[in-house]
Amino acid sequence: MLTRRLIVCLDVTGGRVVKGVNFVGLRDVGDPVALATRYEAEGADEITFLDISASAEDRATLLDVARRTAERLFIPLTIGGGVRTADDVARALRAGADKVSLNSAMVADPSVLTACADRFGAQCVVASIDAKLDEQGRWRVWTHGGRTRTALEAVAWAQECVERGAGEVLLTSIDRDGARTGYDLALMHAVSSRVAAPVIASGGAGNAQHVVDVLAEGHADAALVAGILHDTVTTVGALKDAMRASGLVVR
Amino acid sequence: MKLSIFDYGAGNLHSLIKTLERPGVTVQVDTDPAVAVTADALVLPGVGAFPAATRALGNEGRAVMQSAIRAGLPTLGICLGMQVLFDASDEGGDEGLGIITGRVERLHAARVPQIGWNQLEPGAGNDTLLDASGLRIAYFANSFVCRPADHHTVTAWSTHEQDRFPAMVRVGRCTGVQFHPEKSSTAGVSFMHAWLREVQA
Repeated sequence: MLTRRLIVCLDVTGGRVVKGVNFVGLRDVGDPVALATRYEAEGADEITFLDISASAEDRATLLDVARRTAERLFIPLTIGGGVRTADDVARALRAGADKVSLNSAMVADPSVLTACADRFGAQCVVASIDAKLDEQGRWRVWTHGGRTRTALEAVAWAQECVERGAGEVLLTSIDRDGARTGYDLALMHAVSSRVAAPVIASGGAGNAQHVVDVLAEGHADAALVAGILHDTVTTVGALKDAMRASGLVVR
Repeated sequence: MKLSIFDYGAGNLHSLIKTLERPGVTVQVDTDPAVAVTADALVLPGVGAFPAATRALGNEGRAVMQSAIRAGLPTLGICLGMQVLFDASDEGGDEGLGIITGRVERLHAARVPQIGWNQLEPGAGNDTLLDASGLRIAYFANSFVCRPADHHTVTAWSTHEQDRFPAMVRVGRCTGVQFHPEKSSTAGVSFMHAWLREVQA
C-alpha cells in the first residue's frame, strides 16, 4: 500500500531559495542544496523546486542547482516553473530532476503533455494546475502564476491532463495559497475522486491538522508544504508524526 | 572494482552514480553493451521505456549481455532495468535479456503509474540486502511490473491497490528491484552499499 507523502516546496531564483508574498519583497532564505538535504534528513518524502526566476540568466542557474542537488539528495526531486517544451523537460531530467511539472505551457498547448509522456514516461510528468473559485462557484484554471484567467474548469482540465499523459496532478488553490487557513478540501476531493492519478494538494497549509485533513478528508495522495516550514511554524518531523498519529500510512 | 552503468540514453543518473561511488569502486557509464560487460559488475538503471531500452541494446548487445550475466557477472537491474532482465514486455519493443523467465505486464490497478513510497513484504526467505539496509518502504515510479514464472525468485513483494507484484527478484548473482533504491533515502543508499559489499565479497 502506498504511503501518503509530504512534499517540501522551495522557491528558487538566481541559485538561492527565496520567499516572499506575491513575488514582492523576496527574502533570501538559503542554499537550495543545503535546505533540500536538510528536509530529507528530517523525513520529507520529496522535494520540489519551483523556479520563480524573472530573467533568463536566473533561469539558467536552476539546472546547475538541480545537478548539485541530485548528487546529494536521495529522494525524488521535481522541478517546475517556466517549463515550456519537451526539450525543456529533457534538460531538467538530464540535470537531475526525477519529475518535471508543467503549468501555463500545457494550457497553451496540451499536446506537450503527450509528447513528454511518450518520450520520458508518464511517471515524470506532473500537471500543475492553479485553481480559483469563480463567481458561479466553479473552480476555474488560472495560468501565469495566477495572473491569467482561462476558460477551463479545474476538474475537467485535471482529467484531460491525465488522459493526455500526466502521471500526477499538483493542484494549488489560489484562494488558499499563503492564507494558512487550511487546504481547499472540496477542491482536492473533487479532483482526486475524478482522476486516475495521484493528486498533490497545495495551498493553505497552516498547521499539522490541515495536512492530515487534506490527506484524510480531501483524499489527496500527497500534501505540499512550504511557508510553514521556512518560517519554522512547524517541522517536517512534527507533520509526519501528526500524519502517523491520525492513522495514515506514512514512511 | 570497475562498475558499469549501462545508459539507454534516458535521463538522470546523478543520484545513482553518487550511491555507487565508494572507496575502491570506479564507476563508468557505458552506451556499448560489449564495453559494459567488461566491468566487474553491471547496473541496469531505471529511467525510460522498455522499447527504447531494448532498442539501445540491439540484437548483438542483448546476446553479449545475456551470456555475461548468465556466466555470473554481478548485475543489479533497477525498475526498468529489472524488467529488461525478463523475456518481454507488454509495453512493446524487442525481447528482453531473458535472464529471468516471465513477462512484464501493466499494473492491474486504477491508478497507473504507481508513484510513491510502498511497503516491502517478505518473499521467499530473508533477503540479505534488505536485512542489511533496513529498507522497509521504498520509492516506486512504474506503470509495468514483472510476472516471473518461478515465485521462488521473488525475495520481496509489494501491493498497489489489489495487485501484488515482485518488488525484488534474485537469480544467481543477478538482482532486480522494481523500486528505486537511489531515491529511497538513507535506507535506499544503504541498500546500494550492501549490494556493493556483496559484489566485492
